Amino acid sequence: MSWTLALPEIVLAVAGLAILAGGVLPKRDTFFPASMAVVGALLLTAVLVIGQEEGTAFGGQYVSDSFSSFMKLLTILGGALGLLLALDWNEKEGLGRFEFSVLVLYATLGGMVMVSANDLMTTYLGLELLSLPLYVVAAFNRDDARSSEAGLKYFVLGALASGLLLYGASLIYGFAGSTNFDRLAEALSAGQQASPGLVVGIVFVIAALAFKVSAVPFHMWTPDVYEGAPTPVTAFFAMAPKVAAIALLARVLLGPFGDVAAQWQQIMLLVSMGSMVLGAFAAIGQRNIKRLMAYSSIGHVGYALMGVAVASDEGLRGLLVYMAIYILMNVGTFAVIVAMRRGGRAVEQVDDLAGLGRTDPGTAMWMAVFMFSMAGIPPLAGFFGKLYVFLAAVQGGFWVLATVGVLTSVVSAYYYLRIVKVMYFDQGVGALDRAPASLSVVMAGTGLFNLLFILWPAPILAAAGAAAAALLA
Amino acid sequence: MITAFAFYAFAAVLIASAAMVVTSRNPVHSVLFLILAFFNAAALFLIAGAEFLAMILVIVYVGAVAVLFLFVVMMLDVDFTRMREGFQRYAPLGAVVGAILFLELAFVIGAWTFAGDAEELRLSPMPAGGVSNAEAIGRILYTDYVYLFQAAGLVLLVAMIGAIVLTLRERPGTRRQDIAAQIGRAGTVNLRAVPSGAGLASLGIERPPSPEEERRPAPVAVGHDGHGGGHH
Amino acid sequence: MGTAGATTDMTIGLSHYLTVGAILLVLGILGIFLNRKNVIVILMSVELILLSVNLNFVAFSAALGDLAGQVFAMFVLTVAAAEAAIGLAIVVVYFRNTGSIEVEDISTLRG
Repeated sequence: MSWTLALPEIVLAVAGLAILAGGVLPKRDTFFPASMAVVGALLLTAVLVIGQEEGTAFGGQYVSDSFSSFMKLLTILGGALGLLLALDWNEKEGLGRFEFSVLVLYATLGGMVMVSANDLMTTYLGLELLSLPLYVVAAFNRDDARSSEAGLKYFVLGALASGLLLYGASLIYGFAGSTNFDRLAEALSAGQQASPGLVVGIVFVIAALAFKVSAVPFHMWTPDVYEGAPTPVTAFFAMAPKVAAIALLARVLLGPFGDVAAQWQQIMLLVSMGSMVLGAFAAIGQRNIKRLMAYSSIGHVGYALMGVAVASDEGLRGLLVYMAIYILMNVGTFAVIVAMRRGGRAVEQVDDLAGLGRTDPGTAMWMAVFMFSMAGIPPLAGFFGKLYVFLAAVQGGFWVLATVGVLTSVVSAYYYLRIVKVMYFDQGVGALDRAPASLSVVMAGTGLFNLLFILWPAPILAAAGAAAAALLA
Repeated sequence: MITAFAFYAFAAVLIASAAMVVTSRNPVHSVLFLILAFFNAAALFLIAGAEFLAMILVIVYVGAVAVLFLFVVMMLDVDFTRMREGFQRYAPLGAVVGAILFLELAFVIGAWTFAGDAEELRLSPMPAGGVSNAEAIGRILYTDYVYLFQAAGLVLLVAMIGAIVLTLRERPGTRRQDIAAQIGRAGTVNLRAVPSGAGLASLGIERPPSPEEERRPAPVAVGHDGHGGGHH
Repeated sequence: MGTAGATTDMTIGLSHYLTVGAILLVLGILGIFLNRKNVIVILMSVELILLSVNLNFVAFSAALGDLAGQVFAMFVLTVAAAEAAIGLAIVVVYFRNTGSIEVEDISTLRG
């Protein structure tokens, strides 16, 4: 048993304990140093992930391959950037408690455990290690009724989802006699008739993971929780958990259940199409930008799941590229939303952005870049994300899916471009406060990525290709 | 035969008390029925040979989780008379949906098949002969499953942080123990030679100095009043 | 395999346990969706669902003669305890803010 394979996870867990101890002892407020320490620990973990060898450890419960490394890096990126967005916001809202950064660290660790899971037990524990901190940070603004309501709603539905996941896991275990993914694949590959118990188990697991990525029809919680939670937490919700849960969905469905694809492919097609359609149409009427981003994220999950639904090498590669680009568009957009303050108070209506093009041209320009990218307008990065999944769908012969994808992205372009129009052509009620430096840096960094992806796409494409090949080998 | 009888008895009470958890009007009753359900589930675990889990269920669930529920139900000052009004409205629809779901699951269970090679795919076959259930679990839990064991520990840690960060409030007027000040007090521990034969009657009752008096030299103190009675 | 042998001799087998588990699952799900008044009962319904899962794991563990199911059930118990603690903490915070734990009141964020 080579436990050193799991070094990134172990280092991150121990660093979390050290930061926790270091944060408790001093009497004064330690949010900023603790957050910096967490970001440092995440960077160290990222370096370790890059240098990670391939293989399995702990009797096959843990797996490391290029797919897990790729998705782990995205998860870490989401966690670190989410925490950077919170730095300024939490201090201003009086939420500057160091426990926040420790919880974000452990949520990220949970995501990494999920991504590396090669066993239903690891899956479950990783999922819970990810979810429990998220329930807490959603309710972190404990004196605000909306925040605690968001936490409560997310908790109740999340607990139900993990209950369903477990029931499905118990049926799968009962059928195959094992919870290990490799052994499940063995049990299913022998050309056996898939028993009804197994199919029901798979459906339960898909439903629970669809809840975690907020795909239709398990999306009901998303707009409420996104609106109620503190804004940086919303940004975090839209990144790390989605990456981890989508990675797990891809690994479970294309790995052990790849041989019974006929049983789940129709479900995934419907989930993907439903998410794209709902994300496009429900967002149109939204005035609150956090709710709008909630529907937008549902739509993006639909595009990403196209890559799983087509169940091919190209599809998986498209999914990986899409997730990488999605993270970097999303964090930039949320950097702008977190920066939205007027007279020191956070505002979150779309109309509050009016006139931003004149009062703060820099922020407005980056926001326009992110909106064009989200809408999938070439030559920005978002266009390429969509391009690869659409190509995969066409190559797999899923014409209906590809058509729905193109049509919904045209519809969703409407509300993204409306934000641009509001910023540049509407009369504002007053200038927004200047964005703090930490947010401007995040905006500029992710904005440049979105602009310049077209010039230098090779590294991400190559990494995604290698990761996809590793999973489908 | 006796096993079958025991199974049916425990299962019937388990299901009945689970139904009462969901339907009873008073949340306190719900918690008590939940405890009853856990006890009966523990008995079912025993019948299936999972002795260790049965004990864990009783100790952890009845001892900790159910008590936590009871504590919160009683702590929150909820108007119980208004509870449950809306339940009946949805009950018939719920019963139909529940019956359909159950029939589907019953179909799945009725047609249950194991994978052909499930026997070979087992990860941790039960050891043969003379090994108790608790020992068998202990042998694999800290070896084969150590990664998951540690992950479960982290889940508990996160739950602890979360519960504290959400509910702990430090009000300005609250008196808390200040360990540094407590240890740093001067004049609280004194060794005095007491003349033999002297008692309370001749020496009087000694009290520790109050924090305000501590700037002055400590008064004559006899005995061990280092625990600092009364002030904290 | 001693347990599996013992249970097959008597009339109690895997399907009995799975049936009890299925009934508990249905009761738990109904408890979540039918309950309009009290969030704490919803948390208890979640505990019922997890109990049904544990019954399944123990039954399969006995039928297969495999300890992994019991270990899984143990982890489920551990996590369920953690989940209950977090859930109740959030309920307490929510109650402090609104003075109510009625499910129908949890709707300010709709629309």
